[in-house]
Amino acid sequence: MNMKCLPDLSLDAILAGAPFGESYASPLSFERHLTEVHRAHAAAYPAERELAMLQAQFPAVLQPIAGDDLLAGRIFYPLVSFSPEPGGLGYACREEAIRQVLAECALAADDVAEVEVMLEYWRPRTTAARTRAAFPAQVAAALPSDNWFGEPGAGFPLYRIAGTVLDYAKLLRLGLPGLRSEVLARLDSVPPEHESGPFLRGVLGACDVLAVSLHTYAAQARALAADCGEAGRAADLHRIAAACAAVCDRAPETLFEACQLAWLYALHSGTWNYGRVDLWLGRFLANDLSAGRTTEDEALRLFCSWWRLMKAYDNQYNNRVFIGGLGRGTPAEIAAADRFALLAIEATRRVHLNQPQLSLRFHSGQNPALMDLALTAIGEGCTFPMLYNDDVNMPAVARAFGVSEDEAVHYLPFGCGESTLAGRAVASPNGVVNLPKALEMALRNGYDPVARRFAGPRTGDSAGFSSFEDLWQAYAAQAAHVVAPLAEHQRIEYAVAGGEAPFLFLSALTDDCLGRGQPLLSGGVRYLAATLETYGNTNAADALHAIDRLVFRERTLTLPQIVAACDADFEGPAHSAVRRALLVVPKYGNDDDSADAMARRVHEQICRLAAEQADRVGLKAHLVVIINNWANVVLGSHTGATPDGRRAREAFANGNNPASGADHHGVTAFLNSLVKLDPCLHAGAVQNMKFSRELFTRHRPKLEALLTGYWASGGTQAMITVVSPADLAAAMAEPEKWGHLMVRVGGFSARFVDLPRGAQEEILRRTCYG
Amino acid sequence: MPSPTGIVFDLQRASLDDGPGIRTTVFLKGCPLHCTWCHNPESQKPGPELAFDAAVCTSCQACVTACASGVHTFDATGRHTVGFDRCIAAGACLTACPSGALRLYGGEQSVEAVMAEVVKDRAFYTASGGGLTISGGEPTLQIEFCLALLQAAKAAGISTCVETCGFAPRESYGALLPLTDLFLFDYKATNPELHAQLTGSSNALVLANLRWLHAQGAAVRLRCPLVPGVNDDADHLRAVAALSTELTGLHGVEILPYHESGTGKYERLGRARPPFAAMVPDSAVLARWRETLSAHGCRLSPGTTDRQPDISASP
Repeated sequence: MNMKCLPDLSLDAILAGAPFGESYASPLSFERHLTEVHRAHAAAYPAERELAMLQAQFPAVLQPIAGDDLLAGRIFYPLVSFSPEPGGLGYACREEAIRQVLAECALAADDVAEVEVMLEYWRPRTTAARTRAAFPAQVAAALPSDNWFGEPGAGFPLYRIAGTVLDYAKLLRLGLPGLRSEVLARLDSVPPEHESGPFLRGVLGACDVLAVSLHTYAAQARALAADCGEAGRAADLHRIAAACAAVCDRAPETLFEACQLAWLYALHSGTWNYGRVDLWLGRFLANDLSAGRTTEDEALRLFCSWWRLMKAYDNQYNNRVFIGGLGRGTPAEIAAADRFALLAIEATRRVHLNQPQLSLRFHSGQNPALMDLALTAIGEGCTFPMLYNDDVNMPAVARAFGVSEDEAVHYLPFGCGESTLAGRAVASPNGVVNLPKALEMALRNGYDPVARRFAGPRTGDSAGFSSFEDLWQAYAAQAAHVVAPLAEHQRIEYAVAGGEAPFLFLSALTDDCLGRGQPLLSGGVRYLAATLETYGNTNAADALHAIDRLVFRERTLTLPQIVAACDADFEGPAHSAVRRALLVVPKYGNDDDSADAMARRVHEQICRLAAEQADRVGLKAHLVVIINNWANVVLGSHTGATPDGRRAREAFANGNNPASGADHHGVTAFLNSLVKLDPCLHAGAVQNMKFSRELFTRHRPKLEALLTGYWASGGTQAMITVVSPADLAAAMAEPEKWGHLMVRVGGFSARFVDLPRGAQEEILRRTCYG
Repeated sequence: MPSPTGIVFDLQRASLDDGPGIRTTVFLKGCPLHCTWCHNPESQKPGPELAFDAAVCTSCQACVTACASGVHTFDATGRHTVGFDRCIAAGACLTACPSGALRLYGGEQSVEAVMAEVVKDRAFYTASGGGLTISGGEPTLQIEFCLALLQAAKAAGISTCVETCGFAPRESYGALLPLTDLFLFDYKATNPELHAQLTGSSNALVLANLRWLHAQGAAVRLRCPLVPGVNDDADHLRAVAALSTELTGLHGVEILPYHESGTGKYERLGRARPPFAAMVPDSAVLARWRETLSAHGCRLSPGTTDRQPDISASP
């Protein structure tokens, strides 16, 4: 999610932060400097303005090699920045955080005045602000607020270019000089004044920016090595220095050089999902091992350090590292990639952090050692790797995105579980939809009882609905009221961001930007697509199912009775009797044909509604994602009681899951329900499962069979938390003793003790199988 | 001819401890034995029966008007008394109860209805070597239904287990034999008097049936509930081991350590729990059982004494 995807903002770190350059002479002075750079280039070509910002940001925002780091590359975003996402969309100014700095440190009055001028400057000029300013009136009216975190509503826009996965294989094959050569050749092929000139020259400039950072780190590593009394550490530092210097002048030749170049490129690009790392590093590992340049232990040590650096970059929602899957080349290349993959899982077992989000793609013909070690790691409570079934997902992605299976082989879930096509697509999730809110308003003629205003269209007084279809139409209209404008927002956001900047680092490693001579969002990327986050799908479906059953089939309740009971949050004898009746109606997650049919209907309706916007607004695809982060808790807190029996303000069901505790017919019934929702209609749905540790130990063969049955039935993926309810309860009581306990929240993993109480309770309520 | 119906008190999908692989276990009502430690007291009586959870009751008295038999009464303080002996299991109070304090154990189900659930997990049976398990109670008390269900499973290509207490007519086992891939056969005490004291009947018929089934070449796995201080004496453990060596075709011996998950059910069924003071075995006791059994050559099924007492519970 937009607001929560930003790196941890520690005021102490800002104040104490010793930036790599000397740009933070005083708090916010660097932000003012960046603002001046932007102002000075207001009239420049977008590529020149972006390059100027990149030159100002790098290497200043990079942080020194720290502790036991085996790779150079830490970053700390300032509060004014240019990036696709980590610092905010495009040109971003984080006013709230800046105000926090102003409140907490005593700046001179002149400086405060300058900061106010800076904030004034940015207010209409951030890329997000320019996006909103470009909304047509009806989009602005349907999406009045960006504050999904703080206000009730059925739909909210998000501002970011998220989830882009770059072509690191190309970077490592060409190296920086090779990349430069490709750009130069392209420049040579167009007339001097060709429109692609500024963009292509910008990419060359970006390569220079990266080279400067590499040299800077090389110098720092040498200096640290000179001061280092410990021979082993000094050798590590010398290796960093040598690698940083080497990859400026040639393509990487060793695993270490390849990691170093890719990692720094990622940090400069502002992307934090790394794609099929086994594919692009496997050959380096294999070559180094066979040449005796490294050992598996040494490689493992490197990966453990890298994993920790990833956590320092983004500690929650991203850092997807993929291993396994179809399309990894020749048998020899696959064997090399598998070797990497096994070490990657081993690194995850060792560091036991919530990052990176190691993810295993697998298929029926894959080396079983990968899945075997993966299950061992999961059984130990790592929550990683997450498992993705290529046999189901590739055809599904091909259908959903409208591409061939040859291209679908490049599918990669990013962030919380939204799929993109690595190296050739942008599929940023830039909208949030609250489906129970749409139902809430459908039952009240467009009135939002939490916001206490008519926020949706007038879809009729539900007391007058004579059939379930009347209610369904009202619900669909409420959903369409936000989904259609969110699709327009998405296209506008791409257009505005593309007009603002070419996103040089992204464009350089995304097909077909260089070939076409066009930046990412201005005709460069092969597939300009989008994803839309929907929440509360299960609650909406269960609620609609209960209404259908009780009001229109059995006729034991009326819609006004249900609305009144929800308005009263089921308090009082009459209303609690209504709740009891609603609760006993079968729910999604129990392999109940009727309940699951409604879940399917809700799923298909929202997926098709989103997908059919794509042509209208001019996107390759506009696909629902059913993921989770905090939004099931946050949006739930802004939604009243719902006719599935959920109390007001309670969290929604997580992702694609049954409502917490609603699934009580066993794990096979749960899994059978999950596979009923067609994966060809969307770009990812997270399937959280909570299993007992015993299932992984005493019953390991049965666990494997359980998953095998699930995959064979069409299971797309699994995010598995292994824990006992007693552990969770104990961790809530004594958090200081349970720092190691990792759980899957939906789209990301977290230390259980770091979660807010509401999220802890939601996980505790989730059914534990086995 | 319509297929027979049965009184089923539960259908548990994803059973991991009722035979090989992942299984669906169908629990049939009625049992000829009444074991003192029984954790499924709702399985004992043949017909449907009412259960009442006082902790959930809100004293709304909706059940009073719903019930035609006058089962539910409330005193002046709002305390709910259930006249279980008057209950004919009509079920009207369940629908009326807004808090879920009342439930009925056991309902009549057709073979088709049960099979409709059973086949849903076919993918998991295939992947795990699992299938259908018929348990109880004692399935042979509903032998016609039991046979029809097994036939239906066989016709659907689903493997079958029958869990039995062993206390049933020989003819029943003869009929089950061709339809049952594996018998899970209970063996509870070796001393006949102790067996009678603990279960209500001698073990003579149980042992005779066990040997007969084995002689017919049936696949049989012995299941021994062990209750510390009650039936875990060394003689019994030695006898179990001796059976395992005598009956060479036996498909292993499984230990079911005593657990207490069923204790609350007696009260909810309006019955007194049999006087019984047993401890849930700790790991030392489990280890002692395992050692004694192994020392006498018992072929334990893998993992059998690693089982945590709290998870072998049927519902």
